[in-house]
Amino acid sequence: MAKSAGELVQDVGGLVTLPDVYLRISRLMEDTKSSSADITEAVSRDPAFTVRLLRVANSPLYKVSSSVDTVAKAVTLLGTAQIRNLALTMSVASSFAGLPNNLVSMENFWRHSLLCALAARLLAKEARRCDPEALFTAGLLHDIGELILFNRMPEQSKEALLLVLDSSDEMSIHDAERKTAGIDHAEVGGELARQWQLPPLLEECIAYHHDIGKAKRFPRETALTHVANIVAQMAEIDTLDPADVPPIDPAAWQIAGLSEHSIEPVVREVQATINEVESLFMGKP
Amino acid sequence: MALGPTSQPAPPLALPGFEHFKRSWNQTYQAYAARILPGEYYVTRHDEGVYTTLGSCISACIRDRVLNIGGMNHFMLPSTDAAPGEAWAAAGMGASNRYGNYAMEHLINEILRNGGKREHLEVKIFGGGRILANMTDVGRRNIEFARAYLKTEGLKIAAEDVGSVHPRMVVYFPATGRVRVKRLRSLHNNTIAELENRYLESLKTKPLGGEVELF
Repeated sequence: MAKSAGELVQDVGGLVTLPDVYLRISRLMEDTKSSSADITEAVSRDPAFTVRLLRVANSPLYKVSSSVDTVAKAVTLLGTAQIRNLALTMSVASSFAGLPNNLVSMENFWRHSLLCALAARLLAKEARRCDPEALFTAGLLHDIGELILFNRMPEQSKEALLLVLDSSDEMSIHDAERKTAGIDHAEVGGELARQWQLPPLLEECIAYHHDIGKAKRFPRETALTHVANIVAQMAEIDTLDPADVPPIDPAAWQIAGLSEHSIEPVVREVQATINEVESLFMGKP
Repeated sequence: MALGPTSQPAPPLALPGFEHFKRSWNQTYQAYAARILPGEYYVTRHDEGVYTTLGSCISACIRDRVLNIGGMNHFMLPSTDAAPGEAWAAAGMGASNRYGNYAMEHLINEILRNGGKREHLEVKIFGGGRILANMTDVGRRNIEFARAYLKTEGLKIAAEDVGSVHPRMVVYFPATGRVRVKRLRSLHNNTIAELENRYLESLKTKPLGGEVELF
């Protein structure tokens, strides 16, 4: 029986939760009386996150000149918004560990997500007027609905994957999911973002990364996420031929203010950095 | 004239024995294409495609380049230790290779039966990937078998794309020899591995009899 996105997300309510440190930082950011010292204190209460935060702050991802050896320094250098992003992205894989499935390995799933995150961040830097770190987060979360769909509707999801393999004419996975499950991973992911009260930017990027025309508030960010998803697939299968991957919506280039020329350098750079970033974000704390 | 969906010709007549294959119209190639699964093969004398998805399995694409008749198979060798029964284990690689021989001979014989000549055969091989990280490299064994088989038969490999960690979709047009290999993303690894495992299981329950016809 077909289920709505809302029902699916409610079904997994007890199995995936946002990390406490992310919630604490979010509350502080909404509180006008809070200071960066409060953020520092909230971070320090999570020793595992503190270790990972300092590792990533000192990584080539952020080209800071001096060594970042305290949480206070990290908060000053990266800013509170970025500390909140990292509180979400650095633990998202463990947040979803309670939702296993037999269709895709978690390692492969998160590798694609990280490739997309890196691509979105680079594309955002090039496009300007977009926050590269917000785009990194959007890229990392864009397929999050897949883990819910695969866990809650395994039979229909498997049928969808078989349908894609069965079609020599390249049916997309989200079209196949609509056929077999009556819903697709983007819709489910968007609903999760809504129920989790993630920033609206993330909600739109996740919900509309396959259907960018529907993004009303963050069309540029959504278009970048859409392009980054395809670029991530090119990096994964090591190709620069657009015919090897699903098509990029031509409107995306115009909305993002970029062109096809951006593809090649981004593919090469994410291929060069993925292993290090994978160990930062997915490695053991 | 009303603008309708682009009209498609009727599918070309299938050769006897291949009528049951599902063929669908492919927009990209503007041609029909037949899908084959592990353990199957398809031969045609028309300008139509045959396609499959490969994990650690091998597909040989073979055609008579003069008559433009050809096709594709899709097979793998069962692992000798996973096979049931002591007699089987004692038979070792020989028994395992029989499945490869069977797949190759069926495809080649079908082409010859339809007028192809051995000296005109053009062979391409694909697949044998290592798509599941923590498994033994069964793809490698399949590649080695295919190469050894073709060498023994005196057939040269005109082109190949084998090994690596990616699953593949292969679309082959026997009439022209044109082939398109597309690497698939890891999202498809488990589904493809399961299709291949199902085929391996079927080999266990249906061991080959004396079915291989030798021409």
